[in-house]
Amino acid sequence: MNLRNYNIYFHTHTVSGIIISLVLYVIFFAGSFAFFKSEIANWQQNTPNAAVQKSQIDMNRVRDTMAADMDLYGRDLYITLNERSSRMIVSATTSKDTTVKGRGGFFYMDAADFVKMDYRQSYDLGEFLYRLHFLAPLNVIGGRGFPFGYYLAGIVAFLFLFASITGTLVHWKKIVSNFYVFRPWEKLKTLWTDIHTALGVITLPFLFVFAVTGAYYLISFPLVTQPVAASQYGGSTDSLLQATSTRVTNYDFAHQRVGQAPDLNAYFRDARQKMPETEIRNIVVNNYGDQSMRITVNGANPRKNFTGTASVVYSGASGQVEKFTPLERPSSYNKAVDNLMYTLHFGNFGGNIVRILYFLLGIAGCIVIISGVMIWLVARNKKNIPEKKRRFNEWLANIYLSASISMYPVTAATFIAVKLNSEAGRGFIYSFYFWVWLAITILLVLRRNNYKTTRDCLLLGGLLGLAIPIVNGLVTGNWIWVSWRHGYYDLLFIDLLWMVMGITTLVTWMLVVRKQQGKLKIALAAA
Amino acid sequence: MTAAFIGGYMVTMSLHMLLMTFLDKATLFNTMKFSVFILWAVLMVLALLAKNGWKIWGIYLGLSLVFFLPYLLHLTDR
Repeated sequence: MNLRNYNIYFHTHTVSGIIISLVLYVIFFAGSFAFFKSEIANWQQNTPNAAVQKSQIDMNRVRDTMAADMDLYGRDLYITLNERSSRMIVSATTSKDTTVKGRGGFFYMDAADFVKMDYRQSYDLGEFLYRLHFLAPLNVIGGRGFPFGYYLAGIVAFLFLFASITGTLVHWKKIVSNFYVFRPWEKLKTLWTDIHTALGVITLPFLFVFAVTGAYYLISFPLVTQPVAASQYGGSTDSLLQATSTRVTNYDFAHQRVGQAPDLNAYFRDARQKMPETEIRNIVVNNYGDQSMRITVNGANPRKNFTGTASVVYSGASGQVEKFTPLERPSSYNKAVDNLMYTLHFGNFGGNIVRILYFLLGIAGCIVIISGVMIWLVARNKKNIPEKKRRFNEWLANIYLSASISMYPVTAATFIAVKLNSEAGRGFIYSFYFWVWLAITILLVLRRNNYKTTRDCLLLGGLLGLAIPIVNGLVTGNWIWVSWRHGYYDLLFIDLLWMVMGITTLVTWMLVVRKQQGKLKIALAAA
Repeated sequence: MTAAFIGGYMVTMSLHMLLMTFLDKATLFNTMKFSVFILWAVLMVLALLAKNGWKIWGIYLGLSLVFFLPYLLHLTDR
């Protein structure tokens, strides 16, 4: 590779990396926790998943609870099960019959007590971290109709794709030879470089997938969907999605009421028998209560068929099976792409092991970002660079580090705060998380000491992390051993996760402090 | 820089639009979910390697125009 190209790769990698680093760190950190969104929600509300038998849910009761508040006629009713939570998502569209008033809605319903809650009422820490990872809280900046946060996160994801390609090109020649090089006791710069490249190479496939799928989720609508719709489908994104989507099916509305409410339990039972090896994902009732009503039950099992799904469509008028797609059937290309984008990003294909692995890879991504910023700082902290510029670099790196590393203790503190305040909703989480984060960041920026920032955040985060299972035990009585005995593995998981993280960070803290003390001793002996 | 970011996007989109005129639209649209971003990023890298910024702008604009010709000449039946 010639030197000119190498320099260009190196330079563009550095520039794009520095631009996106802080935002990308937030995305990776919050996103790592978002893999456990349902578990965090169960943990916060103390509603263990195991308390409900999913196959025994009374679907007719779900139907009746929804029908109590609105005329369901002509609407599409969606009941979505979550394999990791007892909370179902129940939503209804606007009716196709214009005489039926009311806009429909989106609700959560707990399968244990069938209490309907709207989105605001059931906002929890899992949802918060999930939304934070695509910067939803920043949407207010753009005002109504312009999701500033999504687009910012999408652009960052795309620049991240660019940065990972140029990073690979920079490192290409040494990719094998340097993989085994790890010199933690050499100078600081080589330590950062080794961490950055080694972890960067290990996580590369994962980072690449995330950059592409992340960009797709956030900016493909304005950048791909709308232009394509404009040139091919007469400017209508609806008709484009109609033609290409594998999820939505429309049935012609007959404008003819049928008397009886559909017996959803019967369909649910029958579908389970037809698709014995699948997990039922959702039940869809199209054109509710109409002659043209269809009931679709969808199921999937990624262990048996990675990209395919199974479904049964019943005709509501006759109760007969209209279409049956068994799981064994290989899925179409369109469906496979659709599922793959989703499965690869959310990591929900191999149970908890895969999600833990994804979590670790996500945290590794955070470390790649921080070490990259440190390389940038150390490389520019030389005598031949003007004092003013060095000051500016240090100031910038100081802010980056303070804001990113303090996310760890702040997140741990928020876990405790939502446990102590049982009313914690969106307002509480927003104000607690963002104000504490801002306060700590400002304090750390003012102190201007990267070593102390890292040291104190590790200590604080470690201690708070260890306190989380204890606070949970004190507040709910579900101590680790109690959860274990009852099989509340989701609650147990969050407690154990924080225990392991707490211990790991405390060990790291000890190593960091020892190393610094060793350095001081050498300096003293020399003087 | 601008050639890389905007020009790369234009070439990517017009190429896919061109393909849409003779391939199955739905299949292609689903492919675009990932191919757009990868191609765009690669084109960005290529543009930054160029020795002359104006020249690469010219090449990218020219390519976009060629790819977009069927639309400009109304050869497609919408």
